[in-house]
Amino acid sequence: MSARSRVALKIAVWVVALAPLAGLLYRYWTDDLTANPIEYVTRELGDTALRLLLASLALTPLRILFGLGGLVTLRRLLGLLAFFYVCLHFAVWIVLDHFFDWHTMADDIVKRPWITVGVSALVLLVPLAATSTTGMIKRLGGVAWRRLHRLVYVAAVLGVLHYIWLAKKVLVQPWVYATVLAVLLGIRGWDATRKVLKRRRPVLARTAP
Amino acid sequence: MIIPWIGYSLSALLKQVEPRPGAKFVEFTTLKDPEQFPAQKPSFLGFGSLDWPYTEGLRLDEAMHPLTLLTVGMYGQVLPNQNGAPVRIVIPWKYGFKSAKSIVRIRLTDTEPKTAWNKAAPQEYGFYSNVNPTVDHPRWSQATERRIGEFRRRQTLMFNGYADQVASLYTGLDLKKNY
Repeated sequence: MSARSRVALKIAVWVVALAPLAGLLYRYWTDDLTANPIEYVTRELGDTALRLLLASLALTPLRILFGLGGLVTLRRLLGLLAFFYVCLHFAVWIVLDHFFDWHTMADDIVKRPWITVGVSALVLLVPLAATSTTGMIKRLGGVAWRRLHRLVYVAAVLGVLHYIWLAKKVLVQPWVYATVLAVLLGIRGWDATRKVLKRRRPVLARTAP
Repeated sequence: MIIPWIGYSLSALLKQVEPRPGAKFVEFTTLKDPEQFPAQKPSFLGFGSLDWPYTEGLRLDEAMHPLTLLTVGMYGQVLPNQNGAPVRIVIPWKYGFKSAKSIVRIRLTDTEPKTAWNKAAPQEYGFYSNVNPTVDHPRWSQATERRIGEFRRRQTLMFNGYADQVASLYTGLDLKKNY
């Protein structure tokens, strides 16, 4: 992929990813944040965070299936933007929803499984964001870095679970996310199995009588 | 928040029909009309849908309490559609979903009526649904609330502040079990 198209792609990601935030600011200025603004803002931010996280996990499957290897260049950006929205989502919960009522929030984290998994997902994403710089990748070494960054799979599963468990009734959207995530992880699993089998086959051929 | 509802005590209506001694409960049924209420249209694999029509219920003594209002308006106007036009029930000491909107049928019965949210999630919504800050919903605390237009949460009051008027209806009832 040429440097130019890479820059264009990155600009496109910035624009698409920040549009929901711009939408919220616009709705704030036009006094259009619904009758329950805090809940609305929290949901929009959480929703966008999940979408971006799933988008960052879609790049490898796109390479596996369609050979679109160049897209991997967007992964760090998408991951950090997802983390940015997760932080905003969390900040709204702390500041606007509970106004630093640490006791109630701690109680919720312990007692409500959907909050427990949500906060866990955030915690898991912190080291990933912290080690996202090129310098940190070099310091950790590729193998250790890749191993650490597998935590994103756990965080994504917890994020989707957080959404499924918070719904008052059975909603479609959380299950759409769950399906997308399952497909994305499934493609990775399928690809990894295929590679392992490919590596083994010649060995089997040699040892066969 | 405090809403100036317009209506009269449901008891006035119920006295008119002279319930038989066997009547122990009242059931309310909301209009089922997917044309007017798009959420009632059949949904994808039943996701997100309740078992329509929406039904609610009260014990007869709760229904006869003077604070249980048969409501036709608010803020000096007839009820807007979204607030349950043309007639709804308002039970100020219970969670909002007990106050059935757009009622088309009121039935007196001797058995506890099935209620919409109890059918959808029985472990989360019981028959009584009295406002009770000391009993958590399984997935969230019910100790605090935020009134529309206010930023900070405030402590939720027992029976939504109507304890003096209605607590006597529930003497001897375990409100943790009968949530």
